[in-house]
Amino acid sequence: MNWPRMLDALSRIPHDLSIHILMVVIALAISIAISIPVGVLLTRPRYKKWGIVVMNILNVCQSFPGMAIIALAMPILGLGLKPAITALIIQALLPIARNTIAGLNGVDPGIKEAAKGMGMTPKRVLTEVEVPLAMPVILAGIRTSAVLVVSMGTLAAYIGGGGLGDLIIAGLNMLWVEFLLVGAGFGALLAIAFDRGLRYVEDRLTPPGFSSI
Amino acid sequence: MIELNDVTKIYDGQTVPAVESLDLKINEGETCVFVGPSGCGKSTILRMINRMIEQTSGTITINGEEVRGTDPDHLRMNIGYVIQQIGLLPHRTVAENVAIVPRLHGWDKDKICKRVDELLELMGLIPEETRDKYPAQLSGGQMQRVGVARAMAVDPPVMLMDEPFGAVDPIVRSHLQDEFLRLQTEMRKTICFVTHDINEAIKMGDTIAIFTKGHLVQHGTPQEILSKPKNEFVRDFIGQDRVVKMLTLFQVRSIAKANPCTIHEDELPNIRQKMKEQQARGCFLVDQSEAPCGLIIAEDLERESDASQERLKELAFSRRGAFIDQHLLLSDALSYMLEWDTDYLGVMNGQDLSGVVSMADIRECASRKEGD
Ligand SMILES: Nc1ncnc2c1ncn2[C@@H]1O[C@H](COP(=O)(O)OP(=O)(O)O)[C@@H](O)[C@H]1O
Ligand SMILES: [Mg+2]
Repeated sequence: MNWPRMLDALSRIPHDLSIHILMVVIALAISIAISIPVGVLLTRPRYKKWGIVVMNILNVCQSFPGMAIIALAMPILGLGLKPAITALIIQALLPIARNTIAGLNGVDPGIKEAAKGMGMTPKRVLTEVEVPLAMPVILAGIRTSAVLVVSMGTLAAYIGGGGLGDLIIAGLNMLWVEFLLVGAGFGALLAIAFDRGLRYVEDRLTPPGFSSI
Repeated sequence: MIELNDVTKIYDGQTVPAVESLDLKINEGETCVFVGPSGCGKSTILRMINRMIEQTSGTITINGEEVRGTDPDHLRMNIGYVIQQIGLLPHRTVAENVAIVPRLHGWDKDKICKRVDELLELMGLIPEETRDKYPAQLSGGQMQRVGVARAMAVDPPVMLMDEPFGAVDPIVRSHLQDEFLRLQTEMRKTICFVTHDINEAIKMGDTIAIFTKGHLVQHGTPQEILSKPKNEFVRDFIGQDRVVKMLTLFQVRSIAKANPCTIHEDELPNIRQKMKEQQARGCFLVDQSEAPCGLIIAEDLERESDASQERLKELAFSRRGAFIDQHLLLSDALSYMLEWDTDYLGVMNGQDLSGVVSMADIRECASRKEGD
């Protein structure tokens, strides 16, 4: 172990880690903002028939290897943080959209029937009944996406996105174990932190009175 | 008043109508029970009345106003709706569940709080104990009660109830039925009540509408349906014990005869004389405080012409249970008669012996009701 090199690696962490977090948070926020409305729309009676089509498209996106998406983003979007985030968004969309759809479709039809039958408008049924009841499943999707995006984010360095990937790529090029350890280690810690944090949010947002799920 | 005129419903993608050319009128303050085998279209009819679905053709009016011309959410806010799945919101407390419709009506907080407690009490729940519970913490019977309370929250004049007591065990169901009947005698709401259980229909309905495969077969009072089933289907649906079911429509007091023949223990030696004078076939033994404690029937005396006073007492005590509350039903009386091996029962008004009912009276009642 080369300690000066280790310290060098660690000194880069504040910068690389904050870029990484920024990348992940922005990508997540944007994919949530896209996926949840899309999921809601695709469970409304009017658009239900599009649900399968859209899910298939997203499934295809998902099956692209992360590396391929990053690589494809470069010729289309160029180099830098923006193309990297775009690539991450594409990967993050599916788990959230899929869970939103599954969660909303999983709400007990008897509960929806009763809510509608009492005179709640469709909007009220959605916001006061369906979304709260689907929330645990939606949040589980967000968690899956978060972990995915954290690990995918390390590839963003290849197209100049920066982040922890910079350390890992440098480590690979120079065969510096210390850089690899620090980059990968903080990547893992970040994934665990996101998972734990979102799990906490999930517990807080799960409606009271839930015995199952 | 709810009126359906030539209503037909064909679901998308189906060719056979779920409901076909239905004409039905439900008078104000009346409970009409829709009964029929599963899949005959009962729920479909109910759901058309509050516009959960739209009929393919025909008109539905409530108090003369066609439902298709109204705003559906507004319409539903003013119709109580109870479904078998109950559909309590699991993330809301009991109080919040009951408060849903009042909130939609924009009631203020105090009024809602008061109404919630009032309703819980009305449905036999203790407000302090249930108010803040979540549905998952309630028993099936309690959930059912909250479901009904919620539907009655703004005291809607019309209620639609789709197998409202279907999800609870028979004992709880029978309780809920009795309590709802008691409430309904005061509320006089216009109610459409769906069930697949003919006994529930007979018990709950002012009128019964029997359906099969989307068609109304017969609509009439329970008595009409039971005494004059229109065809083989209705006859089969009612079952082999049709006449016994008819006896459930009458309380014992409706045919009881007053002034039963009674006797004190010290008069027992003169019992033959007494029964002859009063032309009675059954004589009730009473104690010093006039409380009935046994029954001697004419057959006993004929069989044992030389029975001692002791033996007579013994015979009387052997039928110590041959007394029935005046509010019980003729079908119950029949069961008592078979149980205590007698054609006569004492009819009780509280603690007092107020009359007598005989097998002959019951037979007459059954044949009279069937005849006219
Ligand atoms: N949403 C629906 N789409 C298509 N067919 C339906 C739908 N709901 C009910 N049906 C059909 O309509 C018929 C009547 O159903 P329903 O009114 O629920 O019967 P019931 O309540 O008497 O059991 C059944 O054959 C059922 O399969
Ligand atoms: Mg039904």
